[in-house]
Amino acid sequence: MDNRTSWIATRVTLGWIFLVAGVLVAFVGILSEINFSYAPFNFRLITGLGILLIGIGVGFLVRYRSALKDEQSARRLTVEERDERTVMIRDRAGNRAYIVSTSLIYTGLMWTSFASSGSLPALAGDVLWFFLAVCVVIPFGVYVGSILIDQQNS
Amino acid sequence: MKNRLEELRLKNGLTQQELADRVEVSRQTIISLENGRYNPSILLAFRLARLFGLQIEDLFLYTDEEENYG
Repeated sequence: MDNRTSWIATRVTLGWIFLVAGVLVAFVGILSEINFSYAPFNFRLITGLGILLIGIGVGFLVRYRSALKDEQSARRLTVEERDERTVMIRDRAGNRAYIVSTSLIYTGLMWTSFASSGSLPALAGDVLWFFLAVCVVIPFGVYVGSILIDQQNS
Repeated sequence: MKNRLEELRLKNGLTQQELADRVEVSRQTIISLENGRYNPSILLAFRLARLFGLQIEDLFLYTDEEENYG
């Protein structure tokens, strides 16, 4: 198995792992919803996570499985995804997003430390939810923005 | 970094896509290389140089400007 085929085979395996994990998680979510309907927790979140994983798995399989049989499409896929400039742009974007993410989390950590001594209001309830949402959305925005900018400039 | 990629590609009658296919990168990477906006990895530089039967330094022109790391 050459390097390219082995890379695609790994992606197909990853697709199966996501798919199986998704089915299991969704199944656990549905079972929990039926058996523990009295519990103060929305089990649909678990089912939703399972469906998301199934989607990712199916996406991987659709994209890479046909490439295992077709040399031309395998070549196109590997060039698309392993192109060194594309990889560099993604790595750079990931690095920037990581720095922003770490800074936000560090800010949260400091805020919590000050809040525990009463210097600042506590991060709780809606404020905590909003802060965590910012911690997810801002690094993602930085990642996407960085890719778009670098694709134009490099 | 300046290079002679476009000149050699045209001399050899290759399109950007054909050159990209030969060295297994995207067409966009070839465009960026030709515009001097992207410096290739040493492996890609070797692949390109070998394709045209040249040494790396005959293809990629290292100038004093490159000494400025900023």
